[in-house]
Amino acid sequence: MAASSSSVPFFANIREEDQSQMKQQHSSTAPTSSAVQAAPPPQKKKRNQPGTPSKIILIISCLAFFITDPDAEVIALSPKTLMATNRFICEVCNKGFQREQNLQLHRRGHNLPWKLKQKTTKEPKRKVYLCPEPTCVHHDPSRALGDLTGIKKHYSRKHGEKKWKCEKCSKRYAVQSDWKAHSKTCGTREYRCDCGTLFSRRDSFITHRAFCDALAQESARQPPNMGSTIGSHLYGNSNMGLGLSQVGPQISSMQDQNNQSNDMLRLGSGRPGQFDHLLPPGIGSSFRPPHPMPSSAMFMQDSSQNYHQEHQSQQGLMSEKSFHGLMPFSDLQNSTTSNPPPAGTNLFNLGFMSNTSSNSSGNANNNNSSLPSSAMLMPNHFNNENGSGGGSEGSNLFSNNMMADQITSGVPSLYTTSVQSNTAMPHMSATALLQKAAQMGSTSSNNNTSSSLLRSFGSSSSKSERQVVPGGLSSMFGENNENHFQDLMNSFTSGNSSIFGSKFGTYDTNRTNLELMDLEPNNKPNQNLSGGGGGSGSDRLTRDFLGVGQIVRSMSGVSQRDQQQHQQRQQQQQQQQQHGLDMSSLDSDRNTAPSSQSFGGGGNFQ
Amino acid sequence: MARTKQEGRSSLTSSHESSPGLGSPYPWLRSPQSEEGGLQLIELLGECASHVTARCLHSVNTRLEHISYLASPKGTAIQRIASYFIEAFADRMLKGFTGLHKALNSTKISSVSEEILVQKLFYEHCPFLKFAYLITNQAIMEAMEGEKVVHIIDLYPVEPEQWIRLLQALSVRQEGAPHLKITGIHEQNEVLEKMDLQLKEEADRLSIPFQFNPIVSTIENLDIESLGIKTGEALAVISVLQLHSLLAVDEEVVRRNQQSLQQFLETDLNHLFIASASSSTTSELSLSASPKMESFLSSLRRFSPKLMVITEQEANHNGFTLIERVHNAMKFYAALFDCLDSTKSIAPIEQQKVEKMLFGEEIKNIVACDGAERKERHEKLEKWILWLELAGFSRVPFSYNGRVDASTMLQYYSDGYSFTEENGCLVIYWHEIPLFSVSAWSFR
Repeated sequence: MAASSSSVPFFANIREEDQSQMKQQHSSTAPTSSAVQAAPPPQKKKRNQPGTPSKIILIISCLAFFITDPDAEVIALSPKTLMATNRFICEVCNKGFQREQNLQLHRRGHNLPWKLKQKTTKEPKRKVYLCPEPTCVHHDPSRALGDLTGIKKHYSRKHGEKKWKCEKCSKRYAVQSDWKAHSKTCGTREYRCDCGTLFSRRDSFITHRAFCDALAQESARQPPNMGSTIGSHLYGNSNMGLGLSQVGPQISSMQDQNNQSNDMLRLGSGRPGQFDHLLPPGIGSSFRPPHPMPSSAMFMQDSSQNYHQEHQSQQGLMSEKSFHGLMPFSDLQNSTTSNPPPAGTNLFNLGFMSNTSSNSSGNANNNNSSLPSSAMLMPNHFNNENGSGGGSEGSNLFSNNMMADQITSGVPSLYTTSVQSNTAMPHMSATALLQKAAQMGSTSSNNNTSSSLLRSFGSSSSKSERQVVPGGLSSMFGENNENHFQDLMNSFTSGNSSIFGSKFGTYDTNRTNLELMDLEPNNKPNQNLSGGGGGSGSDRLTRDFLGVGQIVRSMSGVSQRDQQQHQQRQQQQQQQQQHGLDMSSLDSDRNTAPSSQSFGGGGNFQ
Repeated sequence: MARTKQEGRSSLTSSHESSPGLGSPYPWLRSPQSEEGGLQLIELLGECASHVTARCLHSVNTRLEHISYLASPKGTAIQRIASYFIEAFADRMLKGFTGLHKALNSTKISSVSEEILVQKLFYEHCPFLKFAYLITNQAIMEAMEGEKVVHIIDLYPVEPEQWIRLLQALSVRQEGAPHLKITGIHEQNEVLEKMDLQLKEEADRLSIPFQFNPIVSTIENLDIESLGIKTGEALAVISVLQLHSLLAVDEEVVRRNQQSLQQFLETDLNHLFIASASSSTTSELSLSASPKMESFLSSLRRFSPKLMVITEQEANHNGFTLIERVHNAMKFYAALFDCLDSTKSIAPIEQQKVEKMLFGEEIKNIVACDGAERKERHEKLEKWILWLELAGFSRVPFSYNGRVDASTMLQYYSDGYSFTEENGCLVIYWHEIPLFSVSAWSFR
């Protein structure tokens, strides 16, 4: 590191200073300013910032008088006098002058007695000036400064306001001449860190380097697949290295591919070849080698040069647009992310969940053709079937496909990674939950319901309040994503129930609802089993249903606040539903007025 | 990595907790992994907080039982947060029974090395402290330009790396390295000794005249005179997440007066939530900071520090009512837990340690403690600005270069982190949640 090498000069420096001080002490018999300036600068090394050359002279002159001269007259000026630009005032016309000599000459014009200071033949009494700042080292007479300009500049530099700002680098200066000198050179010299950041000042650059190096070491230490951001930077940079400077969309798609395939490798179920067609030909092949990322450290060093700019361009590249065009899967991703929060995707974070939901919306938009894998088309078939007949056979078929084909196809990992690479907050994050809770809290207080949601959750006595009320479902959807929900609604002829079915990748509509109802707290466990879940299939499926049930409940949770008056009706409903009701009447009703209905439409059943 | 780890966790737990309706004693509780369950947890916590305020032991007990069924220190972020909050609630309730409380904590050991480890983990895996250190060092470099004797007072030195970096930066300074003196204040001599050793080594290597002045003390009991501040040296005071502890006052008397009003408010839960929003006004009744803070700042001011850099939690955890504190703390720590979840480099066991020993302890302090005992009195930047300006300090803006560095550094971590400049101070965010603020001050 540069730091260690420069330590030696530092000490050499001090010695030079000492010498120069001594020299000056010897010559202090004739310390006129001209003598000082004529003296060869005792040290060649510049002691100030590049761009403030005026300091050199100042410092040299300071050094010259850094001596305790017992004979010197010590002058302590108040800050006001010190900073006053024209402190010699003419008593007649109040004109101010910077120097006494000038005032004297001016007084001559008023016919006032005037006197120019004569060069005395006698050695003039040397004057030293104190810094008015009591805490300053130069406040001490032993360290007084030798000339008035020096102390002025010192005072404004060290204790004054930095009024002059460089427009280029925003460094501020208290002394105008410093600022001028800096402005002349600012930007002409540049320090470029390996990370790509440019600095106009060496000290900033050095401070930056100290940290930048540390960070580089740190990230090099990180194992390959750690961190999608770091990973993507690496890839982005290595692309640069390969000379593909501005292939925006490709890079982003490659990155994503990369993340995905990495994930697949990690999961052990991936088939990277599958994605070959997604990669633009030449780039794909040149790019694949680094997949295992054997030496991240090497990459870091090579590529860090471009890091900064790279990152910014990447930010642009990562935008959804480019995602869209290049990724056949993008429909999938979009549809899942656009789902309102209570969607199944969050529940287990499994890919197949999201796939089905995307299919369902794909179905709604008649976009099936864009979905590439045959496994993913399966659910659509099923959904259609379900919509028309509602056969329970289809459900088994569907769920089997889900479990078998889709998981192994590696598509799930695709989904999860695409979520990762999105900068959006993960759905299940505590922050998001809290925000949501706050929203709900505010709406509930707006509605002026007397008891909060908590009450109903909290007290086990008020079970009836916790009824499933999918009427609230639609209102939930309505709040978040009305159009989406409407699409879903319209696409399924069987209405509400099949929305559940398709959304969560499940099942025969009637039975789904039965299941849902069975899980309601009002029912005894025995009834649950006999009601529908018992006959419906494997444990796995039942578990899925639970997921569905939870979702439905979450929706009902929101709507509870305006559903208390329906309690009675709901209880009746539930009983009826256990007997397996015809849902069609409900469906039609739901399509027309989704938001106002409680589950099953209440009266429809009676 | 963290993600899969998380998935593994939740899918594992979901397999045996999959059917809360069947086997659980509380069939109405949702699966805590679902969003719905998370929301339920939040609401239950809010409700529990109000019962704790009312000191209604029976209701609190019931709620805690319910929540503990949903919460888990190894579950989703909200489940983990809930675990620490209920622990804090219980602690608060138990404080009423001094005997019980003392007995329960009678064998409690606090391991210094563990604490240090946890702080190190937090430093390494989250960018917050690094951000603060980087900005601080940059500010020091700029303020100390040309100074020959620099004295830094670090009110809570944890990480020697900050000062090692500064030594390195100073050693290559154009005008040569200054004589550097660092005064470290820490309750643990161990920490100071270690830091002393490391810094001296580095200073030796760089041949910088260096002096480390260890002071074993807490910031509350700090004797300013012992800091060894000499006139003529350029003084910089650095506080990282420390200053708020000076706000601790015994407000028991004030609290008692307010109790009746509070109880009145808490009769209705809905009103309470509104009240919690407006109750910040009650805490603002005291425009001035605590007497301790005032005397600390004014005694510092006597030494007219050239620079003072303050890093603080950007949250109001010093609210008057418990509800307000719980509400704000949940928001704040939820974001921190999410940060950790998004951190791929941290091992699960390490993550749990940070959560338990750092965040968990802070939550416990905010929720369970009162009066002088409650040290984690995080306040927002606006308050700090007010107090510091009242004490005669003025803001020093951060340079462009410092900000460039900071943003570069944040990008190394995650896209979720960002920072903004507010009133000349920097605030670091996790998504939209402000988490920490850094502000620089100078005398006058």
